[in-house]
Amino acid sequence: MSEFLDLFQGLISGFGIAFSPVNLLFALIGALLGTMVGVLPGLGPAATISLLLPISFKIGSPVTSIIMMAGIFYGAMYGGSTTSILVNIPGEAASVVTCIDGYQMALQGRAGPALGIAAIGSFIAGTIGVIGLTFVAPPLAEFALKFGPPEYFALTLFGLLMATLIGEGSILKGLIMVVLGLLLGAVGLDPISGAIRFTWGLFMLQEGIDFVTLAMGMFGIGEILINLEKKLSTELVSRKITNVFPTLKDWADSKWPIMRGSFIGFIIGILPGGGAVISSLVSYAVEKKLSKTPEQFGKGAIQGVAGPESANNSAASASFIPLLTLGIPGNAAIAMIFAALLIQGVQPGPFLITEHPDLFWGVVASMYIGNVMLLILNLPLVGMWVQLLRVPYAILAPIIVLFCCIGVYSIRNTVFDIYVMGVFGVIGYLFRKVDLQPGPLILAFVLGRIMEPALRQSLLMSAGSPWIFFQRPISGTLMTFLILFILFQIVRMAWK
Amino acid sequence: MKKFKMVLIMVAIGMSLLTPALGGAAEKYPTKPIELVVPFAAGGSTDVLARLVAKYAPKYFDQPLVVVNKPGGGGVIGTEGVVRSRPDGYSLYVGYGSGHDLVMPHFQKLPYKTFEDLIPICRLSVHSVAMVIRADAPYKNFKEFVEWGKKKPQVTASVSTKAGSVDITFQALGKATGLKIVTIPFRGGAESVTAIVGGQTDIGANHPSEIMSHIKAKRLIPVGVALEQRDPALPDVPTFRELGYDVVTVGSVKGVAAPKGTPPEVVKYLAERFKKVCEDPEFIREMKNIGQPVMYQGPAEFAKYLKDGFEQYGRLIKEFNIKLE
Repeated sequence: MSEFLDLFQGLISGFGIAFSPVNLLFALIGALLGTMVGVLPGLGPAATISLLLPISFKIGSPVTSIIMMAGIFYGAMYGGSTTSILVNIPGEAASVVTCIDGYQMALQGRAGPALGIAAIGSFIAGTIGVIGLTFVAPPLAEFALKFGPPEYFALTLFGLLMATLIGEGSILKGLIMVVLGLLLGAVGLDPISGAIRFTWGLFMLQEGIDFVTLAMGMFGIGEILINLEKKLSTELVSRKITNVFPTLKDWADSKWPIMRGSFIGFIIGILPGGGAVISSLVSYAVEKKLSKTPEQFGKGAIQGVAGPESANNSAASASFIPLLTLGIPGNAAIAMIFAALLIQGVQPGPFLITEHPDLFWGVVASMYIGNVMLLILNLPLVGMWVQLLRVPYAILAPIIVLFCCIGVYSIRNTVFDIYVMGVFGVIGYLFRKVDLQPGPLILAFVLGRIMEPALRQSLLMSAGSPWIFFQRPISGTLMTFLILFILFQIVRMAWK
Repeated sequence: MKKFKMVLIMVAIGMSLLTPALGGAAEKYPTKPIELVVPFAAGGSTDVLARLVAKYAPKYFDQPLVVVNKPGGGGVIGTEGVVRSRPDGYSLYVGYGSGHDLVMPHFQKLPYKTFEDLIPICRLSVHSVAMVIRADAPYKNFKEFVEWGKKKPQVTASVSTKAGSVDITFQALGKATGLKIVTIPFRGGAESVTAIVGGQTDIGANHPSEIMSHIKAKRLIPVGVALEQRDPALPDVPTFRELGYDVVTVGSVKGVAAPKGTPPEVVKYLAERFKKVCEDPEFIREMKNIGQPVMYQGPAEFAKYLKDGFEQYGRLIKEFNIKLE
């Protein structure tokens, strides 16, 4: 009980810190910057935070700069869905599934409700995530540590299955894209054997293809190329915009997907690595399974936006848990915050909460405030984004290309990646011509880069025995579930 | 009076026009900010080192140092960028002595010559290879671990990179102790630390900067260091030599280099100023806190140290027949 009181005391003192004018200002700056880089395709929170690293220790106290950086990170999750919905270009990996139904909604003139539900879902999920971070961080961090290579293999295998299922059209086409995605993920130095694969002797490819480069090519450039064929300029202007805010029915439809998405995102988001991406996939698959009208998915079901967009936001909050309680950075953006703490002379880890309670609680409290700021910021923006659809494509398209180039360049400060993006743009265009969807490819790319090393690490651990996947409780449960699921699908197909 | 003003202005203009012409020879390096190129992503240990140096530099340098990250190819891309830059002292490579300098050339041809195309300026730090065990493991020190391991068909060890300094150290330890150590490579230091902290492998090894917080939290216990002398970051931890096993590597060296052709006076200036930074007590304290001991060496000593380290890795790789395929 006294522990609980300690938590409350910590949180209250944290709010005291977070509500100081300077910290409020930097939380707002972070939220603004985050929304901006989230909306702009290609630009991500990791690159933004790394640009700000040099000035981070000039801002003042570590709390203030971390409050700002955290704001950029979770703020970007709010903005990530915007381009997915409006122009079918995901702002980040965790928003790939949002394209499926979000863009369909936009085509039906329901971009407003899609964006509105994404913002509200993000707010609810973000807040649930921070509540989780406040009260159950240490035990959940221990849970995350239980995830070793066998668990990651089982989880990503599960994710891959979801990726083949979410695709529209034939399973064969979905499988082709998944295999291609896995192959693209294998480009570069193989972490297990050290062998160099498919690089054509280019050192630039040795660390593999970056996700952003691939996604901006396949989705961004590919989408624009195909639209150039379509005389879209007239179509866009005349496109009807029915309403800007979600209707009561939208609400009723989205309520539970948001809650379920928040929960799924929080649990899976704790895992270092692909937490946010996998959680958005799982959320989408769960909603499709639970829906009374699964045939609506892929044709503009609001649940297909509400669930995944909530999941990726609570995953963003949850990804702070391993950093703040264990000192383990789970993704590129969190790794930047980790470095910022080090440069400020703060060692992230189990002692952070006792040695720097001001910092820990100040940042946690600021995340509550930041989420409110983001909601207030994003809801009015919905109306503005929808108006963006009235901008002629001849103007919009070059701007998108420009931001894709800047974003891709900013990852490694090299022009080479822009060429790579161009190549994938042409490939993405050709895929669309033959009706192949890049979604499963991108997801398989992300998952494969985790799954392949995990499989081989597991087998090294067990001296070659595949039983390792069934002997451990978490991976055993997941694998059993997976096998039952596949059997169930086969039986059902045979029945028909 | 008016005339006098005119003359003054004329003189002033004349002076300002003349200065750069004269200055070319007289003006002293540096006249503009110096770029510190880190060939790794922002947030890594080399990046943090460079940023701390840049933070303390204004006290000792005449121009600011600016950190630029150019990751790619395991460090080759950024390093090549410095090799190909103008040798005027405004583009320096921080991290000279990392894996792609001392280990990678034994496996793969690089687009430049690591030792001929770069001039060593100074050593800043050495990241040793420190072996760690979990606090709740059935063994509490290296001796107990060896006894425990002898009863097992294999012992698993998490390493950050296949055929990197940690992997090579474990191969050598396996031979020296007679244990079958199976190394499990991860994608970088952060992932391999997570694996040993989570108990996925029996043992692990990392650079101290990657594990300081876990050591302080007593989740991980360091049991041995592969350096010749004890690591100042972990002064209580014995070297493997002290433990009776002849396993020594230079770990990962973090120094500064300039492209071939950089004028000697520029090299001298840089070596002197970096030395001053390395003697700053605040800088030393901050570096120690993050597990990166300040270990300055001047140009000549550092050149020899690097060559020796490179040859040492070459011998180990040959001895254990490490191949990438």
